[in-house]
Amino acid sequence: MADRAPEGEAWPALLFRLGFGRSFWGFAALAVVSGFVCFIVAGAEAFAEVVADDLHMLANTVPRIIAAMGVAGFIWVMMPRDKLTRLVGQESGWRGLVIATGAGIVTPGGPAAAFSLLAVLGGAGADRGALIAYVTSWAMLGLQRVLVWDVPFMGAEFSLTRLLICLPLPIIAGLIARSLPLTLQLADEDELQKRPS
Amino acid sequence: MNFGIAILYGLLAILALVALSRADGTFQHGLRRAVEQLAVLAPRMVCALTAAGFIARLIPSELIGQYLGGEAGLKAIFLATAVGLIIPAGPVIAFAIAAIFARSGASTAALIAFITSWSLFAAHRIFIYEIPLLGPSFLRLRLVSVAVTPVLAGLMALAWAGLAGAK
Repeated sequence: MADRAPEGEAWPALLFRLGFGRSFWGFAALAVVSGFVCFIVAGAEAFAEVVADDLHMLANTVPRIIAAMGVAGFIWVMMPRDKLTRLVGQESGWRGLVIATGAGIVTPGGPAAAFSLLAVLGGAGADRGALIAYVTSWAMLGLQRVLVWDVPFMGAEFSLTRLLICLPLPIIAGLIARSLPLTLQLADEDELQKRPS
Repeated sequence: MNFGIAILYGLLAILALVALSRADGTFQHGLRRAVEQLAVLAPRMVCALTAAGFIARLIPSELIGQYLGGEAGLKAIFLATAVGLIIPAGPVIAFAIAAIFARSGASTAALIAFITSWSLFAAHRIFIYEIPLLGPSFLRLRLVSVAVTPVLAGLMALAWAGLAGAK
């Protein structure tokens, strides 16, 4: 994907620009402001507790993110786009919605992987209902999140109940999306490299 | 939780091997894309996680949990949906809060509405990924399409509980 980098820009410089774009500073400001409010409202002790929890959580999350980005990167370059698009294209009907829901359930990785795949599918002409069903299914029912977070925190019985109850909802969302008279103008996939601007 | 990480790294190893076996630059392309996405994500994630920790501390979870009990019925479902809307954080925080709600007596229907609402509307995801990758018109289409989904999930859970005769 080297061809998508702006001409003449060294890769380390590109990485730096990607990492510290405008939205980074938005997040940094949010962290500082919420930390300040927490310090004032909840006190120094609570503040220190939260910082310790945050560090712990970061240590847990970083290895996860590194693996997820690796998986997303390889899937992204190896995915059979033509076939996928045929499965969930404009004429795919009910079958497309069901396939999209199933794909959302099994897509591994966090939002980086899911939204990248969504952008690729959208750019390749997938049906809007299928796109909505896919991302809704991934968000609500993604198996990886269920296994990693839902089951340990909430228990297997609750997780299973939630999955069964929510199973038809992505398809309903896809049907709603198909019937809505809204125009859809997807961001150009090639814009990806410029995204933190 | 280590189980999930093991699956991820196992998958990564398999994909990397498949990419390497193609011997046509697929591995390098995949790796390059992974590093670029990591560069986008890591600095933002550090800030977002820190902010999420502070915000979670400021949200009176136990107090809210008491209003999500089974006897609150429909009202609990709407309240849970609203609370899910305002949690701008990843699964760590969201499920930690859900667990606090559960301990404070929230009903299954309310918890399902909360998790569904959070999973569909988590603001950090919209700002970091959805708007940059897919654009505002996709966001609009999606938000309208799933606007009723959390309440629907809660109602179905309520009906389920009624059928099962529990809670």
